[in-house]
Amino acid sequence: MKILVAVKQVAALDEDFEIRADEKDVDEDFLLYDLNEWDDFSLEEAMKIKEAGTTEVEVVVVSVGPDRVDESLRKCLAKGADRAIRVWDDSIEGSDAIAIGRILAAIAKKEAPDMIFAGVQSSDQAYASTGISTAAYLNWPHAAVVADLQYQPGNKSAVVRRELEGGLLQEVEINCPAVLTIQLGINKPRYASLRGIKQAAAKPIEEVTLADIGLSGSDVGVGNSMSHVRRMYIPAKGRAEMIEGTIAEQAAKLIQIMNEFKGV
Amino acid sequence: MKLPECAAALVDLALKAGDPYSAAAVHVIAAGKARRKLEELMFSKRRDALALARWEHTPASVLEALCGASDEAIVVRLDKNQNTPAQAISRLYVTESLSSKNSLSLTVLVAQHRHASLAVLRNIAQFENDEASLLAVSKNLASNSEVLSMLLSRFESNSILEALQKNISEHPSTSPQLLEQLYDKGDVYVKAAVIGHANCSQRLIDQAVQEESVLIQRQLAADRRLSNDVISRLSLHQDKSVRCAVASNLTAPKDVIKSLATDDSDVVRRVVASRSDLTAHSINSLMNDPDVWVRQKLARNSIVPYRVLAKLSQDLQADVRRGVARNAKCSVKLLRVLAKDEDYWVRSAVAYQRRTPKQLLVDLVEDTAVDVLSGVANNPNTPQKLLKKLTVSKEADVRRGVILNQSATRLTLLPLLEDAYYLHRLMLVANTKLKDKDKWHLCFDPDFQVRFAAFRYFANSFIKSGS
Repeated sequence: MKILVAVKQVAALDEDFEIRADEKDVDEDFLLYDLNEWDDFSLEEAMKIKEAGTTEVEVVVVSVGPDRVDESLRKCLAKGADRAIRVWDDSIEGSDAIAIGRILAAIAKKEAPDMIFAGVQSSDQAYASTGISTAAYLNWPHAAVVADLQYQPGNKSAVVRRELEGGLLQEVEINCPAVLTIQLGINKPRYASLRGIKQAAAKPIEEVTLADIGLSGSDVGVGNSMSHVRRMYIPAKGRAEMIEGTIAEQAAKLIQIMNEFKGV
Repeated sequence: MKLPECAAALVDLALKAGDPYSAAAVHVIAAGKARRKLEELMFSKRRDALALARWEHTPASVLEALCGASDEAIVVRLDKNQNTPAQAISRLYVTESLSSKNSLSLTVLVAQHRHASLAVLRNIAQFENDEASLLAVSKNLASNSEVLSMLLSRFESNSILEALQKNISEHPSTSPQLLEQLYDKGDVYVKAAVIGHANCSQRLIDQAVQEESVLIQRQLAADRRLSNDVISRLSLHQDKSVRCAVASNLTAPKDVIKSLATDDSDVVRRVVASRSDLTAHSINSLMNDPDVWVRQKLARNSIVPYRVLAKLSQDLQADVRRGVARNAKCSVKLLRVLAKDEDYWVRSAVAYQRRTPKQLLVDLVEDTAVDVLSGVANNPNTPQKLLKKLTVSKEADVRRGVILNQSATRLTLLPLLEDAYYLHRLMLVANTKLKDKDKWHLCFDPDFQVRFAAFRYFANSFIKSGS
């Protein structure tokens, strides 16, 4: 039994930042990298299955990205993942979520997992489509925004609860293998133990090229993506007013504004 | 690796580690060539320099060293960083003033910086014309009465004057004389702020007694210099916020408080219930109050006698029973009853209570609620044997309770140095029960914040010992 967990190293913005000269992204000097928050929950869900079952479960994490991504993969290994794979080629730069899904599907074909977990979305790009596009390329069933999972290794189906608008939950039975995109709060992600961190430092990370998974530069990159970033910018500031005056005056103005909104 | 015997050896280790945060931690104890090497390590990559310029824990000496940077993004971060020392802020202001690209936003950042020197603030108050900068000076706690006075004197009738008056009327350094000026010229909000100011003169208090504004009366009612007659009159004010202020006034006579204990407003009675001078009559009245918050505040009040606490410990509302369990004078007899309460939030209060005896804590450690176990872990009366058991709890909150426990011994704490949660390791760096040799390995922790804290701890030790 094998679970493939797709993870991403995301970029968090510092308080003050500068946009790159080509206006397509933030200057890298202002970015702080970390494992995508949703992926922490995906990995934990896989680890729970690994630790609960009587069947032997292998948890493999995979990420698409340059060398710096190893740091996030090691974090996953430190938390208990068995293996880590990193796919990179300079031609992948600028790929959209659909092209990344193509790469992950190619990895899945090679690894032949029984389940694939991914985060609902990445905190930096928020397309929420990488997991879904992976399922589409594999022609596998998928369930998005999974807030609860009941699955026994080896079963032909799993029951998931999907989080919908307005606090609704939708219970879905899904055939396996499947791709599930995992929602925040489904579990309580663990911290890596110091021992785990030390062990992870010695574990190898498998570096995979496009050729290793039967793809080439013509399958990925900006030119072969269905969407591309035209520009990134900070929009003009909206309507906001600082309430000035003494504390009592600020409180009075605030009450006045609230009453105006309420039509009092 | 052995503990270094001198500051230079520690600096050398930080250099070998090649980590900018460890380098920042020891920068203050480094000199000459070693210091330059540390700066090269910290600042050679722009992203590291930017991160250090912004980080709230970056030591003042590192920020000072960054001060010569020509990179505007770094300068903005230095201006914003509250650790940037006074000298660096002064240099940044001078550089900014001389620059051809004088930026108003940078001047505002300097004007509101807590380490801005009086000379810089005086200069901005006297010569700058940008409203945002002047208003920032009027709010800056580093400004003194002279600077505030200078600001006010620059404007006679200008749109900024009103805003300055309001900020200065609430500034703690405003002198009694300046407050008098503001009271004479200001609107009702300024007047109210002046009356509520700690430096307000008796003359103004006497004058304000004649004012009709609720805002002013509210501030006045809390003043301890009022006569009993005035307090009594204000206690009958139709506005509940004024009566609330009377209820919070420690000099209010007992008969006034007795009357307010049966006030129509819940809010007023809640304030009364927290007072330390309640009469038996008022306590009896408040213990049967229909408002939960009133009973809860009474339950927390340490002057309340046993018989009242015993009654409140049976209250239908868990928050009231919890109040009893948190009462500093709660008896062991009541704590025994409350330790078996059906509500875990009440049991948690018993677990945190300093009067809870060992045996009760031994019973509570079998509880399944995390909040109860966290309380047991925090309680200095908990036996070491139980604390050791709690160091392996799956719940981080419980393990953190042991770290925060003043009675936890070195042997109890040692396993927590390997805790998976980085914050716990970081908290242990400053723990006085642990020896330096226990903490030394934290200098090589996987988390940069733990490494920084550990290197800083050892750097400070060398500063203290003068070696």
